[in-house]
Amino acid sequence: MLMIKRLMTKYVPGMLTCQEVDGFLYDFHQGNLSFSQQFTFKMHISMCRECKSYVNDYKDNIRLSKEGFVIAEPIDKVPEALMTAILKARYSHDAAVKVAQDHKD
Amino acid sequence: MRDYSDKMYAICCRYFMCPDDAQECLQKAFIQTFQHIHTFKGDSQLSTWLHRITVNCALMQIRSHKSKRLSSISNLDDFSQRYNSYGERTVFSDFQGNNIENMFEKIELKTDMADLIFQLPEKYCNVLMLRDIQELSTKESAQVLAISEGSVKTQLHRARLLLTALLKGSGKHVND
Repeated sequence: MLMIKRLMTKYVPGMLTCQEVDGFLYDFHQGNLSFSQQFTFKMHISMCRECKSYVNDYKDNIRLSKEGFVIAEPIDKVPEALMTAILKARYSHDAAVKVAQDHKD
Repeated sequence: MRDYSDKMYAICCRYFMCPDDAQECLQKAFIQTFQHIHTFKGDSQLSTWLHRITVNCALMQIRSHKSKRLSSISNLDDFSQRYNSYGERTVFSDFQGNNIENMFEKIELKTDMADLIFQLPEKYCNVLMLRDIQELSTKESAQVLAISEGSVKTQLHRARLLLTALLKGSGKHVND
């Protein structure tokens, strides 16, 4: 199969190499390829076991990345106590800056 | 500030499972906001600017706790896929020719996946988090990161390739 793929890549017009598949991989995943590009892309991966596996891994890893960050609990609003503490720190900081400026004047 | 706090907190919760860590991140993000608000020039939306600050604070907090055994991945900036004369893949290597697939042994998915992504070089981690995890568009991601849309696409693709190579070499184990 490898020899057939190599021969077709060399002699059949429009047949992609594995390197060219890598160049199209992002757009294939995003759904940005034209019909003819999709056709030649899919033709290659139907013949190339390595590329078929590579393309599947690429897609699976995106899914696995998302699953690695699934939040078990729904996101709550910012706890009120935290918000109060942040505002208090803000006003304290502003007051300290004002005192320092007044002292400088 | 209250208008944006929930959104910023949601971003922090994406980076940290533990609520305490997420709240710590939010506090730091607000401190940064208060200290640098005078530098906001209005060339982007305020929400975008705040998003960027929150993302940067999250990554700084994560990197301050990062595992030493993975530091070799964080330094990976120059890497490429090598091909033979038939255009077939050979080695995915760094600039010194070291095979990246051998750099990281066994990864337990779902427990280590987030950790692995956080160990990637910063620009790749950022774009993966924004596009693949938070599912922002290319345009939104470009605004948050203050880079071009073309750079977002390139960096995202390279980040995904790097992740694929690292996982391939690790021997994936899918937890039940």
